[in-house]
Amino acid sequence: MSANHTSSPQPVYVYGVVPAGTALPHETQGVAGRPLELLERDGVAAVVSEFPAGDFRVRRSDLQAHLRSVEQVFAQATVAPCPFGTVLGSRADVAAHFLDPRAGELRMLLERLEGHVQMNVKAEYEEEAILRDVVAEDAEIARLRERTKALGAAAYYENIRLGELITSRLAARRATDAAEIEARLSAAAATSVSDPEDAAQLAVFKGSFLVERRALGAFDDVLDGLAAERSAQLRFEVTGPLPPVAFATLEPGVQAWA
Amino acid sequence: MAVAQRGTASNYLQRAPSPSGLADVLDVILDKGLVIDAFVRVSVIGIEILTIDARIVIASVDTYLRFAEAVNRLDLAQSQPAGIDELRGGGSQEKAKGALEGAKEAITPGDSKKKERSR
Repeated sequence: MSANHTSSPQPVYVYGVVPAGTALPHETQGVAGRPLELLERDGVAAVVSEFPAGDFRVRRSDLQAHLRSVEQVFAQATVAPCPFGTVLGSRADVAAHFLDPRAGELRMLLERLEGHVQMNVKAEYEEEAILRDVVAEDAEIARLRERTKALGAAAYYENIRLGELITSRLAARRATDAAEIEARLSAAAATSVSDPEDAAQLAVFKGSFLVERRALGAFDDVLDGLAAERSAQLRFEVTGPLPPVAFATLEPGVQAWA
Repeated sequence: MAVAQRGTASNYLQRAPSPSGLADVLDVILDKGLVIDAFVRVSVIGIEILTIDARIVIASVDTYLRFAEAVNRLDLAQSQPAGIDELRGGGSQEKAKGALEGAKEAITPGDSKKKERSR
């Protein structure tokens, strides 16, 4: 189905923006199994594929196709990725309502992202170790725990109080630890965004760091050192190098690192 | 499936080149990135449902697995009568399984009716 000859416009799925002249990876299957193509305007280009008109059922394979396509483009070029599910009405819309009015901003964004990768870092408490610590450091919690143990099943309200105390002590530790993790890792990165809303009980920190590709070794050294130092209480996970998804934004304020 | 263990270099730091579990993939691609003005975008119903449901799914998968893991670890560490241990362990596994099926349903919303019937 060629877009130029159909009566209704062909919708397109947009993966992100790259510098004009970027070579696309060969044989990459995009969302809905369609091939990737490049729409170039004025120094920038959108990576798109045709999107089936009408009822579309998202499959797991589409999520993976989106991520794989962005990663494969990123392997060869600077890319400012779009979120999953960005669909525009036609190729003409991409040019007229996205690339043309924003070409200048997009070129600046790509310049800022050039040579950088995103590293996602998560840290959480090792449950038994952190609970043992909290009990050891807090006389009130230790006392209450003795009492709940002695009372057994009758300690309903004492147990609630104990859990409440532990939760508040954990929250205080989490705030300190999250700030330390972000500060230490930020020193080896261009910028970072963290997600303080994650309220899962043992989660301490979740954030993304924009790191110069050539400084990846230094970033990993800092992370490994920090994780080793805190290995008694914390477990770290790092994912990357990823395309700079969390830093691909045109909003003012988030561009502060430029 | 969702929380597969990655290649480990050490037990305090796990490294992965790319997100593998469903929750992690969604976390990377779903609501971060270059946003195109809403008036130009086409709204695709299947994608709208996914973006609404996935936030809930991410939260519950994480939480359920956390509880299941914590309860299972307690079972190993404590020496209580076997009957109680079995009840606890079974309960947490059920919860984790429920959350993962919820995730699948969110990705293919059309399947949810079929799943209800099969229970």
